[in-house]
Amino acid sequence: MTVISIRADDISPPRAVRESIGPWLLLAPCLTVLFLVGIFPLCYSLWVSFTAYHPTNPSFDEGFVFLDNYIAIFSDAQALNALVETTIFTIGSVTASLILGLLLAFLFNQDLPGAAVIRTLLLIPMLVTPLAVGITWRIMYYPDTGVINYLLDLVSLPTQPWLSSTGQALMSVIIVDVWQWTPFMFLILYAGLRSSPRSPMEAAAIDGASRWQSLIYVKLPMLKPIIVLAVLLRSIDAVRTFDQVFMMTRGGPNLATDLVSLYLQRVNFKFFDLGYGAALSWMFLIVLALAVMMFLKRTGFMNFISGKDQL
Amino acid sequence: MTIAAQAGASEHSVGRKAVRTALLIAFSYAAMLIALLFFLFPYYWMVSAAFKAPGDVTAYPPVWIFEPTLENFQELFDDLDAMRALTNSLIVVGISTCLAIIFGSMAAYALARFQIKGKEVLALEILLFRMVPPIVSVIPLFILARELGIFDTYWILIAIYTSMGLPLAVWVMRVFTQEIPKSIEEAAMIDGCNRLQALFRVTIPLMLPGLVATIVIVFMFAWNEYLFASLLTSSDAKTLPVMTAVTIKPRAISWGVASAAGFLMSLPVVVLALLVQRYLVRGLTFGVVKG
Repeated sequence: MTVISIRADDISPPRAVRESIGPWLLLAPCLTVLFLVGIFPLCYSLWVSFTAYHPTNPSFDEGFVFLDNYIAIFSDAQALNALVETTIFTIGSVTASLILGLLLAFLFNQDLPGAAVIRTLLLIPMLVTPLAVGITWRIMYYPDTGVINYLLDLVSLPTQPWLSSTGQALMSVIIVDVWQWTPFMFLILYAGLRSSPRSPMEAAAIDGASRWQSLIYVKLPMLKPIIVLAVLLRSIDAVRTFDQVFMMTRGGPNLATDLVSLYLQRVNFKFFDLGYGAALSWMFLIVLALAVMMFLKRTGFMNFISGKDQL
Repeated sequence: MTIAAQAGASEHSVGRKAVRTALLIAFSYAAMLIALLFFLFPYYWMVSAAFKAPGDVTAYPPVWIFEPTLENFQELFDDLDAMRALTNSLIVVGISTCLAIIFGSMAAYALARFQIKGKEVLALEILLFRMVPPIVSVIPLFILARELGIFDTYWILIAIYTSMGLPLAVWVMRVFTQEIPKSIEEAAMIDGCNRLQALFRVTIPLMLPGLVATIVIVFMFAWNEYLFASLLTSSDAKTLPVMTAVTIKPRAISWGVASAAGFLMSLPVVVLALLVQRYLVRGLTFGVVKG
């Protein structure tokens, strides 16, 4: 018996060894790509952030300046402005799209006839190329010839300056973001609503709770994990917004819509201050990582990600 | 008497309830209609601008009824070399979507089916790549691309889009694989399949709908990407979004042409995504939420 089994092992490599190399062979291409395009450039960028790298100015080329770039950030009013604008933009857009998404999810959860078609059509905004979204809204926002002011005028409401005023520009780009990404929120929340069990709602109804009460005290807490997930995914994307805003305002007027991504683009590709740009990027990354970690901790979301809890 | 009064009262309340339900339904339809108008109007405006004559796009008051013209598309293909950008986009996005799905599925299969030390951490780290804003990694990639001589070529964009799609592909495919019981594969292996045959004949067909949705989402993100494409290409490898942005020149903005380009760009994604919309939720939430 034993002889046979040894022979079998001689012919092909031991199963245990094969099984332990196999998965790493499968993982190799994925990890290689992520290392080459993800980790390596980031490390390279960390090194650049300690230099005064400036491709158009050879005499300063790659001089090692250690932490100078990082220190400069703290006296850079535009960097602070960009951080503030990005924070307002993200919180404003995510909150508004969450509320609208929830309302839509409850609305469509009633299963009225014909609602399925409308639900499908509502997904269109999130599928449209963000760049094209920026172009279209810029046309619609024109104060003199835009269709939005025309419609406002039609119903005798005061017309607005929208993108051209410092006070309203940020709100205007938030509206665009809400328009584009509420469908995303809606899609996730609706799916969550459908997959949550019905019996607690029925129990609440039997106990005499009104529709609204059971919605707010029973359904909403049940949806919490889904809401947290949707907010997380949405926030990560909102923070990096570039295309639409770049198309609509390029950060203006008076830096009113100058999000971090737009400011970084200017530092890097207009002033070619790549060393400083790299330092800013790293600073941004650190702030972002801290914010995400805080969010995950406070919402207890880590348990879901690591698979300890089920959504 | 009292019984009759009670009956009358309950009849009354039944009537009130019916009225309330009817009102609720009417209100719901009104709300849906408003939502539909709000979310579809801008897209309608873009599509109609694409088919308007140049002067009509920014006319005031807006032109609602017009004779559709293909002038904008003509200019797009004649003057702006849209064919070139379209080809570039298809090549770059097509190849990188394939690579992301193939590499991603391989990694996902390993993470779902084998015992690997620290695989949860590994999966989480793969996910973290999604969180790095593109603008952060664009400088080093820009410098590296210039030094490696792959600036303004397909290679740099293919590499970037593949890495962009990978985390999503790995996570979604991992969840899908986990959902198909290992025992089905093992049964196939007992029946004489080897591991690879079991994978291709049993597991993959079962995952097909999810796989298609994942492909569409990975395709969508790469197809719509503008930032990397605009900064890492200049002419030879420019994609559709880059070409579209060129229509917005500081002086002579041709909104009709820009809208035509936007419509052209959005069309494949809208059609594909609506076809697989049942599975979109799954993909967009990294496989966590069931649609």
